[in-house]
Amino acid sequence: MSLRNNIATLVVASALAAPWGGSAQQTPSRAGEPRSSVKVAFPADSPLTVVSADWGESRTSARGGALVLDLQTSLLLRNAGQRHVRGVILLVQAQEVTPGGKASVAAPSLDVKPGETFPIKVDLRLLLPLQAVGAAPVEVALDGVLFDDLTFYGPNRLDSRRLMTAWELEARRDRQHMKGLLAAGGAPALQRALLDSLARQAQRPVMGVQLARGGRATNLPGEREVQFSFLRFPDAPVEPLAGSARLALNEARAPQLDVRNRSGRAIRYLEIGWLLKDRFGREFLAGSVPAKVELAPGASSRILQESSLRFPDRPGQPLVIESMTGFVSHVEFADGAVWIPPRAALADPRLLGALAPSPEEQRLTELYRRKGLQTVVDELKKF
Amino acid sequence: MRHPSEFDLALLAGGELPPWTRWRLTSHLRRCPSCQAAVEGFRQAREWTRTRASQMPAEVSWNRLAIEMKANIRLGLEAGECVGPATVEPVRHPWRVAAALASITVVAFSGWLLQLPAPNLGQAREQAGIVLEATASGIGLKENGRELTLLHQPADQVTLSVGVEGSLRARYVDRETGQVTIHHVFAQ
Repeated sequence: MSLRNNIATLVVASALAAPWGGSAQQTPSRAGEPRSSVKVAFPADSPLTVVSADWGESRTSARGGALVLDLQTSLLLRNAGQRHVRGVILLVQAQEVTPGGKASVAAPSLDVKPGETFPIKVDLRLLLPLQAVGAAPVEVALDGVLFDDLTFYGPNRLDSRRLMTAWELEARRDRQHMKGLLAAGGAPALQRALLDSLARQAQRPVMGVQLARGGRATNLPGEREVQFSFLRFPDAPVEPLAGSARLALNEARAPQLDVRNRSGRAIRYLEIGWLLKDRFGREFLAGSVPAKVELAPGASSRILQESSLRFPDRPGQPLVIESMTGFVSHVEFADGAVWIPPRAALADPRLLGALAPSPEEQRLTELYRRKGLQTVVDELKKF
Repeated sequence: MRHPSEFDLALLAGGELPPWTRWRLTSHLRRCPSCQAAVEGFRQAREWTRTRASQMPAEVSWNRLAIEMKANIRLGLEAGECVGPATVEPVRHPWRVAAALASITVVAFSGWLLQLPAPNLGQAREQAGIVLEATASGIGLKENGRELTLLHQPADQVTLSVGVEGSLRARYVDRETGQVTIHHVFAQ
């Protein structure tokens, strides 16, 4: 889909003229005007239009020699197209603050009819030296919109098409599963499944994590190479063959995996889920090992990542990683089609305990928790 | 190539070198991968220490622990246990006024120094890596002391996932809208 170059830009200076304190007050000439701003930029032919932008309780404060900007943004968007919107991803960039990174805010599991409006909140905090305060440090732009027929609009700089397609397929899979329960066992069966899901979400270990990219010049004390074991799904288009990573106490780094395309279609992207088990037997999802590949049918490839994951200890619970398991979580074929594991594959007790529910399952269980079973039943009947 | 001392590299990692020495070392680091790695190691050690320190249980009072430890050394364990927060009325000494004035002078001078033009931030930016971090309030990018954090409510049940290519994702259901919201930060 072509995008026009002329971008309709809505520049909204956030009213951040809150009183400055501390050293900020002493350096107004160096820091520039005592306000910040956010630029919201949507393409002119975008199927979503910005109805309003609200900066609520955004504020600035000084912290030592740095300025902290708390931006609480709520955008009200309208579906100006003719199809139902299933998901949106907004690109958030602060080039002056973190030129080496970018961020996004996504809203999957939507069902926005033509002409309807919906909100997206972008709450963020910037911390930057006073000397680096610029005129418009944050830019919010549309990266992609997914429709109910799985067509896509947007510049797709963040691979939003693939991400949202996978989320939408997961949503359809899980809605289908719940509709099946409802049809077979009535409301009690659905309720049991929702309660089980809520229990799993509550018991699922939540780990803080720090990710550092790039290789390490030296080994960590006690570091060792550990082989992956694999959970294999019969109909997965990719077969993991072997793999290893380096583990030391609460840090895992440099995973490498050998995979083979056992499907009849070329593959351009895949993700391997990465489960870690500590010495107390607790298993948790460390993350995923994604890779852009060119994998012809039957071909094999090696995936290497130089990143390090560090999981902070909890008080009194030092984390020592003992072993790890991999599984194929997501594959994109060269034609843009996406494979996700079927519901039956996720019934493996190890995955059930460690994997997060899909965004749609999370939404429906939360709906049940807040509004009850009948609301979920009504929601499942909508589409 | 002559390398800087580890002492100087550690000070550089902590941002505690004077401007000229910092400029000299950062110039060296641009050409020297081993010193870059050493500085990164010091930075990580610093982060590690900070993380551990921030995870102390709220009920632990360092001041009380310090008092008890000091008392344990001097008086023995039982006596140390009796020593709680200071309850003795402090004796006032005139020299404290002088010390306070001297401290104020030092703080004022430091403040003036901090207002001097900053060194070229672009140089430092090239050397320091970008770190993605998840905290109780959000997920963020850290780069050269600058941060961009996408915030969620601390009470939200947040699902975190990491892409080891350099991305971090947080998912939660927004309490106001009921929508699933997914935050994502990427290192480029």
